[in-house]
Amino acid sequence: MNNPDLTHLGERIANDDQLAYRELFIQFYNKLSRFVMGFTKSKELTEEIVSDVFINLWRRRKNIEDVKNLKLYLYVSAKNITFNYLKKLHRESLTDLNAVEIELEDPFADPGAVLITREMNLKLKAAINDLPPRCKLIFTLVKEDGLSYKQTAQVLNIAESTVENQLSIALKKIGGAIRYTFRHN
Amino acid sequence: MDQANSSQHRFWTLLSKKISGEADPVELQELHLILLSNPDLHHHADMLIEMWAQQMKDSTAGSEAAYVRHIMKHKDEFFVEETHGEPLYTDPFPEEKRSFFSKRRLTIFSFVLFIVVATGAIYMLTRKTETEPVAGQSLSSIATKNGNRTKIILPDGSQVWLNAGSNLDYNNEDFNKNVREVSLNGEAYFDVTKNAEKPFVIHTKTMDIKVIGTAFNVRSYNNEKTAEASLIRGTIEVTLKNRNGVKFTLKPNEKVSVANTETDEIPVRANKKVAVKENSKPVPEFSVDPLKPNPVNNIIPEIAWTDNRLYFEDESLEDLAPILERWFGKTVIVQNESLKRNRYRGNFKNETIENVLSYLRFSKPFNFKFENDTVVIY
Repeated sequence: MNNPDLTHLGERIANDDQLAYRELFIQFYNKLSRFVMGFTKSKELTEEIVSDVFINLWRRRKNIEDVKNLKLYLYVSAKNITFNYLKKLHRESLTDLNAVEIELEDPFADPGAVLITREMNLKLKAAINDLPPRCKLIFTLVKEDGLSYKQTAQVLNIAESTVENQLSIALKKIGGAIRYTFRHN
Repeated sequence: MDQANSSQHRFWTLLSKKISGEADPVELQELHLILLSNPDLHHHADMLIEMWAQQMKDSTAGSEAAYVRHIMKHKDEFFVEETHGEPLYTDPFPEEKRSFFSKRRLTIFSFVLFIVVATGAIYMLTRKTETEPVAGQSLSSIATKNGNRTKIILPDGSQVWLNAGSNLDYNNEDFNKNVREVSLNGEAYFDVTKNAEKPFVIHTKTMDIKVIGTAFNVRSYNNEKTAEASLIRGTIEVTLKNRNGVKFTLKPNEKVSVANTETDEIPVRANKKVAVKENSKPVPEFSVDPLKPNPVNNIIPEIAWTDNRLYFEDESLEDLAPILERWFGKTVIVQNESLKRNRYRGNFKNETIENVLSYLRFSKPFNFKFENDTVVIY
């Protein structure tokens, strides 16, 4: 899952290329913000943390080639900085994955969808939003952020089998919602 | 867990793995077998696959602004303050001693480009022709040779990056009194300080450009068939000189191309979109086209040079020769007529002309040799 484009961006950033740095920032800002926001629940703090993630990367750009996987690096870095902030704020309990609240954008706006009707979309959205916090977080990291099971496990410090289990639970619940809708159509 | 339940469980695990790209061939086969014996699961699988393929609104909305806030917050790390005054650097391009300076320059380039784009300052290029200055002493004239580029800070604090083979003139005494006026022949990037009371005007041979608060690029070389102004953000007012002063406002992400009527030299950069009628009436044809960032790398060709990038899309070798000539400060001669029609695309940063040519000949072969400061392509 190592994106060659990202590797190339990393090389350019190591060469002080700010256009590449900007590209990386814009590509990941909203995604990392969604992830961090799940823990902090504060827009201001989230912006500060994501800014820290990127400035750290810029300061260490000369060693960026040691970073095998830039994407994984960004998420791990975001998590670490978030947890540090929350510790400072004496809110350690919020680093519990079960207290995470991931806000998702309106999904499924794809007009090319054949099988999924608008009504089903609403059910799907509701089903996703009803997922238990940790399950939803894992679902989001794999689906929306495109992380592999292994990367997700590394970012969250959990076993890969947990990712596998949680994702299948998520799909089963979402699938159940669709079946319900289907029967009523 | 009974057998049915267990196989259900397995189904969801395998489907998740398939959808997320984690399944290996053995697992895919296993899923296939489960589906064969449980046809009712088919519809589920199809729907979930479709659901997975649909992205959330994957927008980058707001992240450009966040980037500017990020840069401003850490501006010491991105922006090296330069002194005011005359040209800050003139660095032969390419050459060996450039590493330190080019890094600094790059930093400044990118910083300004982003701030410009985000805040709606100005980006422009113009050219001037016969308006040779009369008052010799008060006229400032800054010129770059081929292969050189320069940064200038004007008396009002506006910054100008002058591309190779260009010159910029302004009157030292009058500038900033009522109107800020400059003349440009060549290509430049302007970051103009805002001052609504003193409009900033760029004079070129074919058009005058009045800056209303904007970011844009102007390209107007004497030896090119067309002159262009590309607007990145904001508003500029363009007056076409030889068309009874036709005046119009350019919208962001638009480019106006005007035919040069007095192109007595070899046409250099034919713009395919502009209908240039050779030997017809001396009225410049012009067109307004959208600016198109390359969908793959997001580079806007018109302003790639400000990032020190030699960038071209679908350019014939004939048209490319003078571009390389300006960029590298070497004379480039294409000896073989049949080679001139070969078309190339390129995206180079900090490369020598040897390397650029070596890359280009990979796509359509040619030979080249150096004779002093001349490159012969044959």
